[in-house]
Amino acid sequence: MTPIYRERGATLTVWVLSCVMLAACEREHAAPSQQHAESTPPAIRYEAHLEAGDLAPAGGALQNPHAGEAAAANRGQQLFTAMNCDGCHGGAGAGWVGPRLSDGRWRYGGADDEIFNSIYYGRPRGMPAFGGALGPEGVWALVSYIKSLPVPQQIATESWEKP
Amino acid sequence: MKRPPPRGAGDLQRQRARHHACGECARAGARLSLIAILLICGVGTTDGPLRAANEPARAASDAMHVAEGTARAPGDAMPGTEDSQWTMPAKNFAATRYSGLAEITAQNARSLRPLWTFSTGVLGGHEGQPLVVKNTMYVVTPWPNVLYAFDLAKEGYPLRWKYRPDVSQNSIGVACCDSVNRGAFYAEGKIIYNLLDGHTVAVDADSGREVWKTKIAEVADGETTTIAPLVVKDRVIVGAAGGEFGIYGWVKALSLKDGQILWTAHNIGPDAGMLVHADTFKPPYDSGADLGARSWANDSWKVGGAPVWGWMAFDPELDLIYYGTGNPAPYNPEQRVGDNKWSSSVLARRPEDGALVWAYQFTPHDNWDYDSTGAMILADLTVAGKPTKALVHFDKNGFAYTLDRATGRLLVAAPFATVNWAKSVDLASGRPVLEPAKQTGASKGNVKGICPSLEGGVSPASPAAYSPRTHLFYTSTNNLCMDYATWSASHLKGTPFVGVDSPYLAGPGGNLGSFIAWDAATGRKVWENKEAYPTWSGALVTAGDVAFYGTLDGWFKSIDAKTGKVLSKFKVGSGVVGNPITYRGADGKQYVAVYAGFGGDWALLSGDTRSDDPADVRAPADYLRDIGRHTSQGGIVWIFGLQ
Repeated sequence: MTPIYRERGATLTVWVLSCVMLAACEREHAAPSQQHAESTPPAIRYEAHLEAGDLAPAGGALQNPHAGEAAAANRGQQLFTAMNCDGCHGGAGAGWVGPRLSDGRWRYGGADDEIFNSIYYGRPRGMPAFGGALGPEGVWALVSYIKSLPVPQQIATESWEKP
Repeated sequence: MKRPPPRGAGDLQRQRARHHACGECARAGARLSLIAILLICGVGTTDGPLRAANEPARAASDAMHVAEGTARAPGDAMPGTEDSQWTMPAKNFAATRYSGLAEITAQNARSLRPLWTFSTGVLGGHEGQPLVVKNTMYVVTPWPNVLYAFDLAKEGYPLRWKYRPDVSQNSIGVACCDSVNRGAFYAEGKIIYNLLDGHTVAVDADSGREVWKTKIAEVADGETTTIAPLVVKDRVIVGAAGGEFGIYGWVKALSLKDGQILWTAHNIGPDAGMLVHADTFKPPYDSGADLGARSWANDSWKVGGAPVWGWMAFDPELDLIYYGTGNPAPYNPEQRVGDNKWSSSVLARRPEDGALVWAYQFTPHDNWDYDSTGAMILADLTVAGKPTKALVHFDKNGFAYTLDRATGRLLVAAPFATVNWAKSVDLASGRPVLEPAKQTGASKGNVKGICPSLEGGVSPASPAAYSPRTHLFYTSTNNLCMDYATWSASHLKGTPFVGVDSPYLAGPGGNLGSFIAWDAATGRKVWENKEAYPTWSGALVTAGDVAFYGTLDGWFKSIDAKTGKVLSKFKVGSGVVGNPITYRGADGKQYVAVYAGFGGDWALLSGDTRSDDPADVRAPADYLRDIGRHTSQGGIVWIFGLQ
């Protein structure tokens, strides 16, 4: 008997909790899924985007409700394994088929809301959208964890010369 | 396939810290797995076996014995027997990668020079090999799977055309181990190959126009298509990768004419899905119904992997196709108690209707990611004094196997690399004699110092060659071991189903790889060329008694097939993970072609071997700290000749 089948009841509990968390989050923040019915598009953008006419498009701004909280980062660390993030990004985000998450470099921006968008909606080249499985609360926990990863001071130069 | 995350020293510490915290994670994972299982709907749809008239196999014993230098007109010969061309991935149906061309010899190979190169414009690992048909060279790139056709009859070999399919970029992230392609197959005027995103295409070899395109696999389910097809009679045989995503592994046969799917045969699960018929399935060491389901506790075969992404062979006399299956999923074996048949196995099927004739499992209950997708080479050997129709296979598990290819019975099994997960393989039962201290599982913690590593004693992507002149097999090897800590993994569709930390360690001896000559009749290593790095290219051997291979640090070498002595070497601009071929040019001379293009496994792509993405800068891997000093990514086609 594998744990897969033993924990049937627990699975449902997780889903119920997720729904509760989702509802709570929607009250406090403009959750992306809520914005479909509104005229303002969601804030899928990142700092490196060029802006025509030097004019930034309007869009909702997202704030991490748990920014800097160690408990959120710990929960995110557990989700990083449980949701198989490490299967692509490597243990501790060291990089695998997906890019390294601990080098301080970002394809789609490294601000909290930019990382949120990458996880919630997914990205091209195989990054799945986790918003459906995790809801905003779970995604914010992952954002907190990823932002807590230590970044080496020297990343740009790798030398094989003896100093 | 494989895939532990590569780790630098700092990462290793963090990873250990994470592992200690993993009781919690594992429970979270278990909760999520049911969600994932509920999401899997419709797995196991199987097209009924085609009941067509059983076309008699074309008797062609010479398919196994390539006539030296006696080129026959195309169309007359059994495909793959004509030496001036290279029309299928492994040269011939027997998959020997042996050419009867003998202009390049051990005496003159020192005069081999690069004569032509072409940048493919693609960075993914360039596994596979070109084809040469009627003075045209066909090159398939890794994703985005461009097909180039070079005119070998004109100076500078200009393109006749190129074919640029529309391939989903999502497939890049679902291909576990780089966006590779293992090559094309020429048959009846068509170039047939797989796109990474689960499609097989047939392109007119003359015009470059698409003839048909068939969806064979589902990227959303974790399936990608890196394998080179095998075309037998009017059947195109294909499979899909996805052992790291818990797919329900299969092979399919498509109509060569129009791409219609004729049969689908699963590698695991109940007999009906596996196209097992009680009266015709004769496995040498097993009996009973539904072996592919009963050997997996709790129906775990439903997400059990056993993908097909390596190399296939065909014996026209026995009318059997042969292919190996990949690892069972997930990497924690305690989630799939039992032998897990027929993962990490070789299967023999009828091409006509897909019926399974025999199967042999190299690694029962594989708990080290020892895929068996490496080449199955068909050779007629004298084993223990008896002429034998043999199948020879170098497995990731470090043993080289010699089987009777009519029955699947084991004749010889001996380690060709450092092995400590098993003491030996028992010839009477066909089963490995296990080393208890090297068995893994979530309850066993971090099991240290297992050899080989999950990169294999040889990478399955690096097919061996066989010379009927020297009676020797030639193969690259890896000399790596590993630690293996696994936990209960959650199956969540669209994400990896793995659950392992498995950092690599250098094997004994100071070298990380080698190129060896092997006597498969006795299970004996004849000679070995040690290499500083894991060796990942395929092998080629010719009637000039010259063998060819490339190295990860970017050398392409010709060697004396009898002694291993290096005859020539040239630095080809990027590490070699492709397979050399040889052919006769329009001028009648013998040429050798190979891809350079480091990659094919993300464990290799650590350090600064990658330069294309400023937002992805990685630490070197502990076991391979300076490979970035010698190579970077980038695909190049090379042609060598005597000068």
